[in-house]
Amino acid sequence: MKTAAELKHGERARISDINSDNPSYKRLIEIGFTPGQEIELVNSSVFNDPLAFSVRGTLIAIRRNEADCIILS
Amino acid sequence: MTVDVVKRIPLITLVGPPNSGKTTLFNYLSGKNFKTVNYPGSTVEYYTCKMQDKFNIEANLLDSPGIISLNPNSPDEEVTVNSLYNHPEFGIPDLVIVTADASQLSRHLLLTKQLLDSGFNVLLVLTMKDLLEKKGLKVNTDKLSKLLRCDVVIVNGRTGFGIDELVKKIDKNLKNLKPVSKQSPTYKFNDTDKQSLFTLFTEIENLSKAVLEPIEIPDLDKANKEIKILNPVLEEPTMQPDLFTIKLDRILLHRRYGLLFFFLIMTTMFTSIFWLADPFMTMVDDFFSYLAQTSSDLLGNTWYSHLISDGLISGTGSVLVFLPQILILFLILGLLEDTGYLARGAMMIDKPLSKIGLNGKSFVPMLSGFACAIPAMLAARTISNRRERLLTIFIIPLMSCSARLPVYVLLVAFLTPSDKPWLGGILLASIYVFSIISSILVASIINKFSRKLIKADDNSSFILELPAYRIPKLKVVIKNSYINALHYIKRAGPVILVLSLIIWFLTYMPNHSPQIDTTGLNEEQILQLEKSERLATSYAAELGKFIQPVMSPLGMDWRIGVSLIAAFAAREVFVSSLALIFRVTDDENIQSSLLNAMKNATNQSTGEPLFTTATVIGLIVFFIFALQCISTIAVSRKETGGWRIPILQLLIFTSTAYLLTFITVNVLHLIGIS
Repeated sequence: MKTAAELKHGERARISDINSDNPSYKRLIEIGFTPGQEIELVNSSVFNDPLAFSVRGTLIAIRRNEADCIILS
Repeated sequence: MTVDVVKRIPLITLVGPPNSGKTTLFNYLSGKNFKTVNYPGSTVEYYTCKMQDKFNIEANLLDSPGIISLNPNSPDEEVTVNSLYNHPEFGIPDLVIVTADASQLSRHLLLTKQLLDSGFNVLLVLTMKDLLEKKGLKVNTDKLSKLLRCDVVIVNGRTGFGIDELVKKIDKNLKNLKPVSKQSPTYKFNDTDKQSLFTLFTEIENLSKAVLEPIEIPDLDKANKEIKILNPVLEEPTMQPDLFTIKLDRILLHRRYGLLFFFLIMTTMFTSIFWLADPFMTMVDDFFSYLAQTSSDLLGNTWYSHLISDGLISGTGSVLVFLPQILILFLILGLLEDTGYLARGAMMIDKPLSKIGLNGKSFVPMLSGFACAIPAMLAARTISNRRERLLTIFIIPLMSCSARLPVYVLLVAFLTPSDKPWLGGILLASIYVFSIISSILVASIINKFSRKLIKADDNSSFILELPAYRIPKLKVVIKNSYINALHYIKRAGPVILVLSLIIWFLTYMPNHSPQIDTTGLNEEQILQLEKSERLATSYAAELGKFIQPVMSPLGMDWRIGVSLIAAFAAREVFVSSLALIFRVTDDENIQSSLLNAMKNATNQSTGEPLFTTATVIGLIVFFIFALQCISTIAVSRKETGGWRIPILQLLIFTSTAYLLTFITVNVLHLIGIS
């Protein structure tokens, strides 16, 4: 099962589910990471964490462990 | 008999996701000028005011921190949600105006839907129409209004487009307020689960697909081209972020050079404060010296002449000299906030900060700590994890706030040889670097113990929207810097004045006209002797006897001690207090005459020079650490919800300050630097 944390720079993928194990999963959904949305890894910080994704026409920075609960199809 | 019916003024609450133009709209409706910044969390407290008279609607407006959903994630979001459902003062809003970025419809409608579901009277304001138009789209507001069953208006808060229609709709909504029998809104988001959120989003996606339409262009050729571009967009509601932003981010967030740019931007920012302010400082300085000289010439050698020229004018002037630097600091911070870079800064240092128990979101509060600790502690509300938020608040007093600038500039001027003025800038920059390094050290030490000191659960998180870059609006930034500087004067001014008077009284009384042997002395010498005799027999000297034992180990005497104590009211008072105690009334300008007085001063208990390289460096170290600000302690208590943290801060920082000053001064003495 591939997650958003495994995306390469510029790689696009579609979200299939959000893993509710992470305490911030609700916030991830509310900010726009929902099944069916296409996301792209646009940038990563100097330390490879956090990662910046393009979702719904905007850029959102999230930590690697948070990206790990975004499950891709 | 007539019964006075107290007419309740209707309440309109503004809510909206961060960066949806909420504060801009609030400013437009209220005629006020609160700052809007390109970083989520610029509003952390709610503001209320009346609608502007010209709109002819009597209503209270409430602006609250941005929220993306009614399920709060951090203390600033809680402020908003609480104010909606249960405002202690105003009750439930009669009308909720919710802003949404038209180009972000599928994300921003979440809040609108939740508000409507709760049963609020909602008016939806769509902003950023221009961004959507760039993508060749427009919103069919009639359709959206019907689908949502609430009024929808497109507004541009900057140009005022659509405001007339908005005012009409507000008026209509307030007049049609449903009778009291209406149920009050209910909060039902405690146990929203994943699936219900997904369903809500699917609903919203269908909604936004239904209301987004391509812009019709009369020119057929053009239209054909547009359609070619537009068709894929319409089939696929996923839109692309701003291209310029993505390109600029490739440079500014570069994996190797990103941090380099970050440090470059920060260094430029802090060093420019000093060289930009220099000419303005000279101007303020000359003005106050002129004022002091004139009043002393006019009033002659009397006690009230001394009170006015020494006490009031020199005291106030010695602090106001630093106003240009403070103004420029606010200006540069404001410009930086407005560009959208701060969110990138927060992202880049999230990882290193999380190693010492902080969060990337601590970056903006810490940076504002360089202006003033009070707004900085409020800004920490955007941090959702309680432990990280408290630790951020804990170390904020270590950021070199603008009140310390006057002190540093004076002490650095003392250390800088007149033939090497550039050394001053470097010294000041190193004070900033040193204070940053020490705050990192303190944070990591506290973090080690913080599991005992600060109890909270572990749910650290960093989710931050990176707003599109934009050119800062210079006019707004200048206006805000001006307002901030004015606040600074209003806050610090009275304190400085009152303390100047107290210190003047303590150092001038009771022996105001001392008996001295004047034989063989010229007028200048008589004046000098009178001064030192007066001070040596003053109330301050009496008090000083108690302070002396504490100051001796530092190589300082009670006169500095009195100034340090006065500085607990506000740090900048240290300078005016020194100016008073060392009696500055030369015709030269204030700063240089205070410097001369400092160079000539001798330690009253040892007879050696009082201000030496060692003691001045010691004083700088003291000011880096000591928590000398009553307002900071008060805000820290309020924000942390108890006395525990402010008292710990006061004890730890002030004792560290004393200890390190002691070590600095004595080590410098040992290695031969007097």
